[in-house]
Amino acid sequence: MVSFDRFLFAFTIGSHIILVAMSISLILLITVFEYFNLRKRDEAQTNLIRRLKRVFVISFGVGTASGIVVAVELVNLFPGFMTVVSETGIIGAFYLEIFAFFLETIALVLYVYFEGVFKWKYTNFTLATITAFGTLLSAVLITMVNAWMNTPNGFYFDTANGMYSSTAKVVVTNVWAPLATVSTFSEIVHVLSTTVFAGTMLIGSYFAYRYVKSRNDNDRNIFRSVLRKISGISIIGIVLAGITGSNEMATLLKYQPLKYAAMDLNPTPGTGFPERLFGIISNGKVVGGIQIPGLQALLAKLETGIVQLPGLSSYPQSTWPPLWIHDTFDVMVIGGLILGLYLFILFLFFVFKKEYVKNRPMLYLQIILGLFAFFIYEDGWVTDEVGRQPWIIYNMMTVSQASNYSTSLLIPGYLIIAFYIIVIPSTFYFFARIFNSTRGPENLSPSPQGGVDH
Amino acid sequence: MLIINYIFYIDFAIFSVFVTLFITEIMGGVMILIGWDRYRKGILDYIVPVWEVTGTFAAFWVVASDFAFPKILIPVADIFPWMIMLFLILFVARNSTIVFAEFIIKKGWLDERKLYSGYAFSTLLIAIVVLIILSGIIGGTGINLSTLSFSAGSWALNAGGWLFLIGAVIIALGLAPVFYNVIDLKKITLPFTALGIVISTLSFYILSPGTFSAMVIIPVIMTILIPVLYLIQPLRMIVVNKLFFIGWGSIDIFSMNFMVYPDAFGGKLPVDAFTTSGPMTGMFYAISLAGIIILGILVIFYAFAVKRKSIETIEHPV
Repeated sequence: MVSFDRFLFAFTIGSHIILVAMSISLILLITVFEYFNLRKRDEAQTNLIRRLKRVFVISFGVGTASGIVVAVELVNLFPGFMTVVSETGIIGAFYLEIFAFFLETIALVLYVYFEGVFKWKYTNFTLATITAFGTLLSAVLITMVNAWMNTPNGFYFDTANGMYSSTAKVVVTNVWAPLATVSTFSEIVHVLSTTVFAGTMLIGSYFAYRYVKSRNDNDRNIFRSVLRKISGISIIGIVLAGITGSNEMATLLKYQPLKYAAMDLNPTPGTGFPERLFGIISNGKVVGGIQIPGLQALLAKLETGIVQLPGLSSYPQSTWPPLWIHDTFDVMVIGGLILGLYLFILFLFFVFKKEYVKNRPMLYLQIILGLFAFFIYEDGWVTDEVGRQPWIIYNMMTVSQASNYSTSLLIPGYLIIAFYIIVIPSTFYFFARIFNSTRGPENLSPSPQGGVDH
Repeated sequence: MLIINYIFYIDFAIFSVFVTLFITEIMGGVMILIGWDRYRKGILDYIVPVWEVTGTFAAFWVVASDFAFPKILIPVADIFPWMIMLFLILFVARNSTIVFAEFIIKKGWLDERKLYSGYAFSTLLIAIVVLIILSGIIGGTGINLSTLSFSAGSWALNAGGWLFLIGAVIIALGLAPVFYNVIDLKKITLPFTALGIVISTLSFYILSPGTFSAMVIIPVIMTILIPVLYLIQPLRMIVVNKLFFIGWGSIDIFSMNFMVYPDAFGGKLPVDAFTTSGPMTGMFYAISLAGIIILGILVIFYAFAVKRKSIETIEHPV
């Protein structure tokens, strides 16, 4: 059952983050458009905002339900973990998130369904900004929980070794400390930058496709305008993702050395390590793959000043994560470099004032790399989460100690998987359908004939 | 010395608002199914902007309960695992269908009516799942606390559970014409509500005779007053006001807290023993207070927007 619980939750959250990244990037994009609309009001842009708003409402609606599925699944699949969460200050992050969620929901409702009710010139921009702020704050707060799982604080178990047992009691030492662990800041900035980047690239992929397919000049102008802004956000995003990713590795090296050793495939501790791309450990030695001499040691020294790097042999093998996270980590880094190279070329187009949308190969690459960026984003999360195994709370509680062993979860669990397989593609189908079907000026009041007024 | 468990009451207040909002959606769902062409405008004008808020309140209650009663999580997860999973599937179905329905342009077989009907069905099914779980929490029906398991068979053999379900559905049917101000159904509102109250009260007694008390008179009076006020024409405008109805309904449900406090599951589980304690209580109060202030401000803005929009609609009718 533990494997099933793990798989079900991984599948659910893997599906959920598609909607999350879409929602966050979309509302940021809408806010950017509202800002430009404020500076220079333009009917085509206003209409585009309305179309994007509708897509956002769908993304938000399905994402909300999916978020509740994730929250309740945590209780249902890992009740032991959630009991510890509820007895320590980190529950505060979940609780605060609800109010961020309310902020997002009510601002969105006012923004979408009460357009024109407030006469103030800055209303739309302000409401879009508040909605975006609520959305980002939700992401920040849930990342705090993840950071606490990686570097727990603010409590201990009253056992001899400080680890969980079925009779262990939680002793709280500081209720507010879990909201700011040693890894909280580095994880938040990395998660936010990569989430915005992945979501924006995915949206860019769609608009690049539409631009390629479209024969209508008005549409092409609109798509070009969207693609320019998306490209700008993506270029900033990849730079931030690189910087924050490097910072995240430094945090790992300092506070989760075993995870670092597994990700960099260091069999033993030592100095002067090469950067290893792929390969496996056989008889205590790294076999296969490519090695770049001294690079790992150089990066570690530059980022943290640490010279002596950790190795797997310093830890009991039972606490090692699956070593294939080294491969997923390498895929993530190489993928990031490929994306970075593409965006650098895109940046050169801007520098030399060339319209990159007129360059077909660049557009085709954008379509492919938008999807690829999302794959890399998911791959990054897999690396992070599998890298913490077997722990659910690092060095304190294992996933098997937290899991629900009820076999009655199996059938509804499979149903949830089947359901997501239908819901996610349907949602994307509706995104496209709703975006394409609403070209004229509209308002979102229910019409007497059905649906909303078009 | 009597110690008041404020944490329980805060959690129950959140639950009361969530249930009231959810009941308004159930009533809308019923109306959608029975009279789409006739009632759709009035129902959608209310439901379309509010369903997201209901969902947020559901999450609010779930997280507040996690915080307030940490030790109840393992028993609840063990007792109701498949019911909770079923709830989740229906919840995603509810959100997906309504959000697709909002913006659908008819193409092929799928249209707005089918999607809203899907929303109504999933909402009604969620209601059934929630009512079964609630009947278990109130009376322990179908629940074996020693093995931490739930038996649908033994739940089905207890008349209390069925009456609880039927009573709630009949009350919803009785109050729906009031909430959506459907004058042509005004004749059914009082008899349906009264019948639902009788059945529900009987179900409470069967479910948990030990915790049943004279306090039940408060929710009974509060509930029956709604159709009575509706039938008195000069007072009708008060009860058809949606904010008033939601406020009244929340207080009405809050008054039923005696059914699970101080003991839940048919008097077998003392709530105080499961409530969070120590330094965690300070955090609970601090965040609750700050959050409720923020929520209050947002609700004021929302109410203001609703009022402005209704004035505009009167001044500039479509």
